[in-house]
Amino acid sequence: MNSLCLRTVILCLVVVLSIAGGCGRSSGPDSEEEAGGVVEYKHVTWHDDGSLDLTTFEDGEIIGLSKEDIGTLFGPGKTPFAGQRIAVAVTSQGPKGGISGPLYRLRPAWEELTGAKLDIVEVPMADLLNKTITDLRFGGGQFDGIIQGAWFMGEYITPGFIIPIDTYVQDPRFPHWDPGWLPTPLKSIHAWGGKQYGVMNDSDGQVLYWRNDILTNTAWRSAFKEETGKDLPFPVKTWQDVTEIARFFHGKNWDENDPEPDSGVVMHFRVNEQGMFHFMSLSAAFTVLGGEKVDRGTNNYWFDPDTMEPLINQPGHIRALETLYELSQYGPRAQSSWDLGTAWDWFLRGKSIFVFSWGDVGSLVQDVSRSSIKGKIGASILPGSYDVYDMNANAWVNVDEPNVVGNTVGGSWHGVITSTSESPEAVYSLYALMATQPVSLWNVNRGWTGVDPGARIHFTPPQGSADLQGYLDAGWDESDLTFYLKAYRDNFYAKTMLPYLRINGAEEYWRALDQNLSETMIGRLEPQEALLRTAREWNTITDRRGREAQLKQYQESIGYDLLPHAPR
Amino acid sequence: MSFIMTKKKVKPLAFWALALLAAAAFFLPFYWAISLSIRNPKEAFTVTGLAVPFLQYQPTLSNWQTELATGETQRALLNSSIIAAGAALLAVLLGAPAAYAIARFRFRRPSNEGLTLWFLSQRVLPPVATAIPFFMMMRFLHLLDTRTALIILNATFSLPFIVVILRQAFLDLPIELEEAALVDGAGHMDIFFRISMRLAAPSLAAAVLIVIAFSWNEFLFALMIGTLHAKVIPVHMAGAVDTRGIQFWFVAVRTLLSMLPPVILALLAQRYIVRGLTFGAVKG
Amino acid sequence: MHRDSRVKWAFLLPAALWVLCFTIFPLVYGLRLSFFRVKIGEPDEFVGFENFVQFFQDERGLQSAAVTLIFVLSGVTVQMALGMCLALLFNRDMPLRGLLRTVLTMPLFATPIAVGFLFVTIFYEEGGLINGLLRWDVPWLSHPHWALVSVILVDIWQWTPFCFLIFLAALQGVSEDYYEAGRLETKSGWMLFRHVTFPLLQPTIVLVLLLRITEAFKVFDIPYTLTSGGPGSATQVLSMYAYRVGMRFFHFGYASSISLILFLLVLVTVSFMFKQIRQTYS
Repeated sequence: MNSLCLRTVILCLVVVLSIAGGCGRSSGPDSEEEAGGVVEYKHVTWHDDGSLDLTTFEDGEIIGLSKEDIGTLFGPGKTPFAGQRIAVAVTSQGPKGGISGPLYRLRPAWEELTGAKLDIVEVPMADLLNKTITDLRFGGGQFDGIIQGAWFMGEYITPGFIIPIDTYVQDPRFPHWDPGWLPTPLKSIHAWGGKQYGVMNDSDGQVLYWRNDILTNTAWRSAFKEETGKDLPFPVKTWQDVTEIARFFHGKNWDENDPEPDSGVVMHFRVNEQGMFHFMSLSAAFTVLGGEKVDRGTNNYWFDPDTMEPLINQPGHIRALETLYELSQYGPRAQSSWDLGTAWDWFLRGKSIFVFSWGDVGSLVQDVSRSSIKGKIGASILPGSYDVYDMNANAWVNVDEPNVVGNTVGGSWHGVITSTSESPEAVYSLYALMATQPVSLWNVNRGWTGVDPGARIHFTPPQGSADLQGYLDAGWDESDLTFYLKAYRDNFYAKTMLPYLRINGAEEYWRALDQNLSETMIGRLEPQEALLRTAREWNTITDRRGREAQLKQYQESIGYDLLPHAPR
Repeated sequence: MSFIMTKKKVKPLAFWALALLAAAAFFLPFYWAISLSIRNPKEAFTVTGLAVPFLQYQPTLSNWQTELATGETQRALLNSSIIAAGAALLAVLLGAPAAYAIARFRFRRPSNEGLTLWFLSQRVLPPVATAIPFFMMMRFLHLLDTRTALIILNATFSLPFIVVILRQAFLDLPIELEEAALVDGAGHMDIFFRISMRLAAPSLAAAVLIVIAFSWNEFLFALMIGTLHAKVIPVHMAGAVDTRGIQFWFVAVRTLLSMLPPVILALLAQRYIVRGLTFGAVKG
Repeated sequence: MHRDSRVKWAFLLPAALWVLCFTIFPLVYGLRLSFFRVKIGEPDEFVGFENFVQFFQDERGLQSAAVTLIFVLSGVTVQMALGMCLALLFNRDMPLRGLLRTVLTMPLFATPIAVGFLFVTIFYEEGGLINGLLRWDVPWLSHPHWALVSVILVDIWQWTPFCFLIFLAALQGVSEDYYEAGRLETKSGWMLFRHVTFPLLQPTIVLVLLLRITEAFKVFDIPYTLTSGGPGSATQVLSMYAYRVGMRFFHFGYASSISLILFLLVLVTVSFMFKQIRQTYS
């Protein structure tokens, strides 16, 4: 055997061994075949009083459910869905990542309870919508359930790709969860036209995070007073306050983690990603006036509910973009190309005073392999504005208290059931199991699951019923946690909310906005011009998709009634 | 005479230094990937410059452990390997004879030129135009989410490489050998297998490597058609972006793991190309 | 030079039938789709040439065509020149020859999707490999012009090995006799290249040019992951625009028509080049 042959053989062996090293793992997307017949309880322990303990996959953590939680369908020895196999599509984050992780953790227990099999189909996040739409539209039939982002709903609803689940929710057979646990703005994105489609899971919204250790530091406070002649406007009440603080701290090395200068703020503005959410959440304060009804200038943001005229370039929106642009000047120049993780990393390493983004930031702060600032942050609902543009009166109004508006921007990833599924009840049982109080709280306690708090059962008393200890045991710093929970509670229960755009083509509208925003952020477009272009593009989009149909859908999605004071 | 001798001594060293430099420049991103994969996520952006391990940061194997534990990358590697190998085999079986036909025979109604252009045109259309119809075709054939489907697709779209590259290689071969064999009474098939293919070996090796590279990296069809069982490396890579942004450390690990089979193959093919040097030389 | 024999069909037909069989339906379907407006949940609406007309009025569409053109012209030229230089360099005996050549072909096997992500960290502007090492402050990804440069650079890194590989294989097929004859006339390396190597390699150069151009016009993975088409739409190439129109906004008909326009443009260019070269030869 010459040396070439020998080398070939060795190399082939190396390759084969390394590949084989991965096979035979049970954390695969595929479910293992069962020996068949009697149920072997390895992840479920039934108690005599009808309650049970679930053991999670791999970590082996125990979650206790009561008899009321679990419903009547399941019981010792019962396999109500025996022989069925369901496939659920979810963003590809693996067994230890967000959103998909909880599915892996609960799969063995669920399979033992139901007798069914679960295939977890991981799809790259950016392509989850198009892969499922293609499948549903062209008859692939590959998916029984989808863990969707809130904006998917508009695309699934009209063609009837997903089914309503009201009968299941009220059915005592299934594991128990209550849509009423969710505050109204979150509840409404799980439903459409009065019918329930989604099961509670994750709750997304942007809040303001800051370096509490720096902003409460007396030395920095005097330095601020010295340089600007004013007191540090902390706690911040308006976006102007945020900008002033950011301006002061930008370029100074106020953080001891490294010798390089730091920033006032950091944003994730990489185009075609999540940059436009920054604009949406910030501009809410300048554009959304609360009230008891829904019309053009009340509880509205996107379009005129009578004509579908885009409202994105109204003076309020323009002022907001100018504010956003000015604020961005006190962040790293490269942030216009930074994705979510890169921008957060800047904050987590301690290099930015502010960041306004999702709940993942708070939980990442607790992870010392990612963060250097555990225990040092503060958080609150996004600041407001004293000036708000009234789109009914077409004039600016000045309010006594800053107009603070909550938001639900983001995915709020939750499960829906496809109309092509042959096992809808099995799918629902999985979602419901994950939405029961103990399991949901278990997910929310652990930040890595990507399931962020939003329901009453996640918050601590007096608003909620959760126990602080659960979070602390999962590794949260108490000070961070207190800020975090209050921020999200205030956000989701705010009097005024930014309405969520869920109509057909939502992504297309958002992307038109996003591209113009990106060009504004790099200084190529003036805010007014950018939003004017966006409005024009939105009109083109609306016309192409059918103005009448879009208008009708928009009216439905915001709960628009021509009668004032009608209940939403 | 001596002047030429000294020139010959200096030249090889200078060339070798240049070659080393070039190789280093092309290797640098891989070095960076290695460094990224053995760093803590917190240090993904803090380590600047040459990222010397132990000097600038403490290396850790945790990213590798996490990635290998899930088995996803290994499964994707297996799928990609099978698909690339299958597609290459199929493409060569179909394409090499076709290339020979176009190079050595006269076609009238579709001209030789027209045929070459037709094969080449298969690579011109952006995949997005045909993604949906291919989805429908595979559904019709009950081949959705199978490796077979992707082998078929990749073979179809890699054929042009084989045809175009081998056609050129055959055209470059001196015609005398084949004519002599014809005169001796050899059949066309014989000539093809025994003479032409062997002489065109270096180009064949290059073409096969290219086909494998393209099948290995094909993204859109694999995304559309592969769902659970036929998940391949590029789709797995795209999956490194999630609700928390791009997981760079996992990208680094996956990139390095996914390079293994093709690089080993390239290493082996190198020797074959070199061996091919002794063929194809016709004196006179 | 060319023989004629019925056996030629036996050689050709398997490949031809295979390709026909698997591409006829998608082509026809794609063609049909480009004349329709597709709305999920509703029947397709026939709109004639409206999709094609729309593209020429679509600012973003035309911009993406311009970006693609710049990308192809600059990227392909550099790749081929560099690939040729490297092939000439490596076409000799040297220690570690096999290893060095393998290293040089490695970028070809790096999945473009991953390469884009990897280079995000390499081009990281607040440190990273380049700005950190060379103490530059280049806005690699945050400035529209630099972003395009970055995308082209990555593409050069990834595809020069392709040119290198084919040129090297071709060089190794060149008989030493030609060089010996050439060296009788001149000692200059450049003259040898210009009068011996280059003419012999011309068909291969054309081959590589054709292959690279067809691929470069379709470029998608690297801008998709490196810059996501940004900032703004500075690096949004045509293929990416068609993808987003079709797969994000579900305007399948329009996406199809954009792809067809690209197809026709490239096909016409390639056929033209092909015919020109044939003429120069015969």
